[in-house]
Amino acid sequence: MLLAGTSNSSQRIGVNTVIRGVYILGDQGSMIYSKEYARSESKDTLVEFLMNLAEFLKTVDLQEKTEYMNAAVSRIFYARREPFTFMFVADKADDATQIEEKMGQMVEFFMKNFANLAMANQPLDGFDDKVDEIAVTMIKVAILGFSGVGKTTILHLLRGEILPLVPNPTIGVSIKTLPEEISNVKIVFWDVAGQLRFSILWAKMIANAQVVVIVTDSTLENVLKSKKLVSLVQEEVPDAKVIGIANKQDLPTALTPQRVGQILGIPTYELVAIDISYRNRLISIIRRAILEGKTEAKAA
Amino acid sequence: MPEATFVVQLDDIHGFVVRQRHPTTLTLNEKTLNLLFYEQQKAQKEELSFSEIDGLKFVSYTSSDFPGWMVCSLLGPDEVFDELHPELAGSGRLILALMKEDPDAVRLNEILESGKVLTGLTDEQKLAEIYLTPSSALLLERMQDEGVEKAAKLSIWLKNQVQSDDVDIRQAMDPLMRSGIVKVELVGRTSETVFLIKDVFGYRAPPTESVLKAEESHPSIASKYREYVTEFFSPPPPSKGYNPTLPIEDPTSPILEDREKISRILSDRLQFLVLDCLRREPLTATEISQRTALPESIVMKVLWALEADKVAVRFEEEDLWALLTNPRIESFMPEYILPIIKRKISEKEITSDAARRYLELLAENWGEHSD
Repeated sequence: MLLAGTSNSSQRIGVNTVIRGVYILGDQGSMIYSKEYARSESKDTLVEFLMNLAEFLKTVDLQEKTEYMNAAVSRIFYARREPFTFMFVADKADDATQIEEKMGQMVEFFMKNFANLAMANQPLDGFDDKVDEIAVTMIKVAILGFSGVGKTTILHLLRGEILPLVPNPTIGVSIKTLPEEISNVKIVFWDVAGQLRFSILWAKMIANAQVVVIVTDSTLENVLKSKKLVSLVQEEVPDAKVIGIANKQDLPTALTPQRVGQILGIPTYELVAIDISYRNRLISIIRRAILEGKTEAKAA
Repeated sequence: MPEATFVVQLDDIHGFVVRQRHPTTLTLNEKTLNLLFYEQQKAQKEELSFSEIDGLKFVSYTSSDFPGWMVCSLLGPDEVFDELHPELAGSGRLILALMKEDPDAVRLNEILESGKVLTGLTDEQKLAEIYLTPSSALLLERMQDEGVEKAAKLSIWLKNQVQSDDVDIRQAMDPLMRSGIVKVELVGRTSETVFLIKDVFGYRAPPTESVLKAEESHPSIASKYREYVTEFFSPPPPSKGYNPTLPIEDPTSPILEDREKISRILSDRLQFLVLDCLRREPLTATEISQRTALPESIVMKVLWALEADKVAVRFEEEDLWALLTNPRIESFMPEYILPIIKRKISEKEITSDAARRYLELLAENWGEHSD
């Protein structure tokens, strides 16, 4: 992917907005609701800053508008409705208009359905789902597996692309989005290089993934080796939904998906990535993994 | 000067984001960014790494203070990496420090054309890092009691203190060794021993040089300035003022909290630059910007932060900034350890070889012929 640019602004893969955190503060500066969609090393400092900002905003008349301020590479959006302060933390390069619209939706929904509950210190049951619906616009799915198991072929299949005649090993990571959205959410795939020399990057590349797909070529040797990947994922992204793909089921040496799943200890699905007829099935599997991941995260 | 420079961030969701580039017509592809990142991760160290990709020579700078960020330079065919090393590390440091503060204020072309750099840590900043690593500060406290201690014993003590087996003594010791506070040597065949060579004292000094200079160069603020400083250090009773030399038992004492604040200020590269500049005399933000080569918008942000920490003070009418207090961390010879060493020898806690070596090390560092 070419990252050419003639402007001085940030250039990045994809243009979708990512809201990284949602915060609602009450009258006494208390945190009524907060949700982070990406892990941050400086969370405590951020929350302290937001509380101070909320205190300051009480002295400013925002006239029901959403405004924002920049903080390094982040942008903090805020709106006030007595006695609440609503805040989104997003990236400075994100589309401000889109985020302002989302802020409007959230504020309206909260004031209509939850403001009284919040003032009475009651639980905000059901609000979390609405926040997800509003704030989650992009989901990261990491595809992990050793070299030659068909990760990039799976990505081509998902995107409905023609396979290249000569396989081209991935270097580092290749990032692509799915042409269609799932539940109004854009899916961004991180196809992580499987060559052993790139193994030093794996932990970094799967960070903050909501779903991790571990791909095997269904041979016993590869499946046994891939158990290490399951451990890595469970350690690095414990909240992610992990599924296995038993690829190359058309080959005579392939273990059944059930056997692959038993060995890996994760739900595993059959696939022949070079067969276009598997595309819809694969999209359904990804969709289900995303939804199950959300449900499991809530239950936790 | 490199042919091109660009700043890249690996964002968890979006992938590689090119935050800044010079020239703006520069074209990059995913493969190049991946390989640069891979080379940097492979080296697993800070500072610079060199890569040759598709016949082009790249140098990338990273720092553990800015995980996921790289400042990359594309070298010309005749440029040699080793010769450009200090310059590229210095500009990398400066660019990342500025990006953290205010990415919009960063003008890569200006930084590169002017040759602006941020040098490595000063001795004072290395000392400040001790108090920013809690286990290092703990080790220092222990060494202030012991003077000489076996590394293995110190490691067990530290694990008990932090109630964890995961604590790495080498990592905790690193700021102490880098700043020359302790020295670790083998005494005998196997006994790795830690010696306290210097002790440190963090405090706010009165900005004497700046106050005297203000009387010469800015008489309009001189009396007001002196009044501010006096009010901080020795206000009229019943206020007690500032006295960091009083013995402290309480670990939550404001003086100890303040020492951590002083360390944070000194170790922040941009705050230190501005603070160091103001140590000599009161200046306007524009003058500070010229002397430090930092953009004025960033100088203002730093000054406000220093003002909030009672380090800087503003004279609005004259548009001048001056130091209210001068944060310092200084080292001194730990003479108080000598009776402890005497006791340790008599109680056979340390060998005479260890004691002799300790005295040699103190003489090397603090004797008449030391630097």
